[in-house]
Amino acid sequence: MCLGIPGRVMEVHADRGLTMGLVDFGGVRREVCLAYIADEVQPGDYALVHVGFAISRIDEAEARRTFEALRAMSQLDELEWLREVAARELQEMDRTAAP
Amino acid sequence: MKYLAEYRDGAIARALAAQIRRTATRRWVLMEVCGGQTHTIVRQGLDELLAGAVEMIHGPGCPVCVTPLEQIDKALHLAGRPDVIFTSFGDMLRVPGSECDLLQVRARGGDVRIVYSPLDALDLAVRHPDREIVFFAVGFETTAPANAMAVWRARELGITNFSMLISHVTVPPAMVALLSDPTNRVQGFLAAGHVCTVMGWTEYEPIAAGFRVPIVVTGFEPLDILEGIHLAVRQLEEGRHEVENQYARVVTRQGTVPARALVERVFQLVDRKWRGIGEIAGSGLALREEFAAFDAERRFALGTIEVAEPAACRAGAVLRGQLKPRQCPAFGTQCTPEHPLGAPMVSSEGACAAYYNYGRFRTAEPVEAS
Repeated sequence: MCLGIPGRVMEVHADRGLTMGLVDFGGVRREVCLAYIADEVQPGDYALVHVGFAISRIDEAEARRTFEALRAMSQLDELEWLREVAARELQEMDRTAAP
Repeated sequence: MKYLAEYRDGAIARALAAQIRRTATRRWVLMEVCGGQTHTIVRQGLDELLAGAVEMIHGPGCPVCVTPLEQIDKALHLAGRPDVIFTSFGDMLRVPGSECDLLQVRARGGDVRIVYSPLDALDLAVRHPDREIVFFAVGFETTAPANAMAVWRARELGITNFSMLISHVTVPPAMVALLSDPTNRVQGFLAAGHVCTVMGWTEYEPIAAGFRVPIVVTGFEPLDILEGIHLAVRQLEEGRHEVENQYARVVTRQGTVPARALVERVFQLVDRKWRGIGEIAGSGLALREEFAAFDAERRFALGTIEVAEPAACRAGAVLRGQLKPRQCPAFGTQCTPEHPLGAPMVSSEGACAAYYNYGRFRTAEPVEAS
């Protein structure tokens, strides 16, 4: 449960005072809270993300290494939830948008 | 058992294992306190690769596994209320309570939803102002900053239909409790890399010095773990007992300071029961008084309940390293991942499930008493 997933920060913005960002995890993108590393992160940087929060900035080599290790260990559960949640959000948006 | 099967750095790992064997002049007993490390060790057979030189005890490093039965029962109660949307990380849904699990509550009509982040639960609260959103806040220090922020944010945004059922635990007090037990066999620890990413390792320094045990902050990949073991064995052989950092690629001594600061602002240390182990002083996090409105136990006046673990489950002995999972009479018979009796069989990070999933159930092994 404590394993973080590395992702690439695509953009950084503020949501009512909270530093958030769009982070790419091997092709799956989602909003992540960047508040804890706000002073050191910029678009293009890599971060270790746990349950929607960046807990550490890491370099690209570490990000690639960790991502591959998680894939090899079938420990990308967080990513699976992320896919599920993303799919559900899309459905919900479709429902809301339906006439 | 195919050691390091399919592992791309298998040759390097075997060389490291040989180096550990050369360094060890006797058999040392180490404990990892990280479910991710347990998973790697059992999956790759690292413990069997080092048999005779190092015995690995799989400590209480899986938050799902140590969440007390009482808290699961409270979760089941809340999830069954018609006014509640109960939200949780996916791995809590199959953890058995006294009567059933969250999946069964959902099957009977309870609104139980898996979320990826506690902020998702907060979003649900905004979208469903007529419902009570309860988030099951379970985890070690790695998860605490996320949950602290969700509560902080709820107060900041004036969200009043959000609360948390909290079962947060912290690792260092559990290490102290294990080391203080007269039956303790642990001579050194691998500390969890991502817990230390947040917390740093200053808390471990007095433990290493006071109990004269090496503590090595270690990542979760096979090479990380073998390196961590090697550093710990070298300290033991040289009579040193320090905190060392194998995972310097990610972890610094101070950790992620803003995260630690918010955790401290929102939570306070309390005594907390660990499933299978019992109460450990100062090992839990609870909301500070000023955030009491977000505490589900208070909001729904849950009170205290006393429940008994299934007698056949020996999870406590497994988590303390007194028993290997397959030495438990229920292992693989009464207790399987499909029908778990205790939590270490539920989560893939639990020692029992790891043993079961990686085929460690065919043969009994001799009791490794020292």
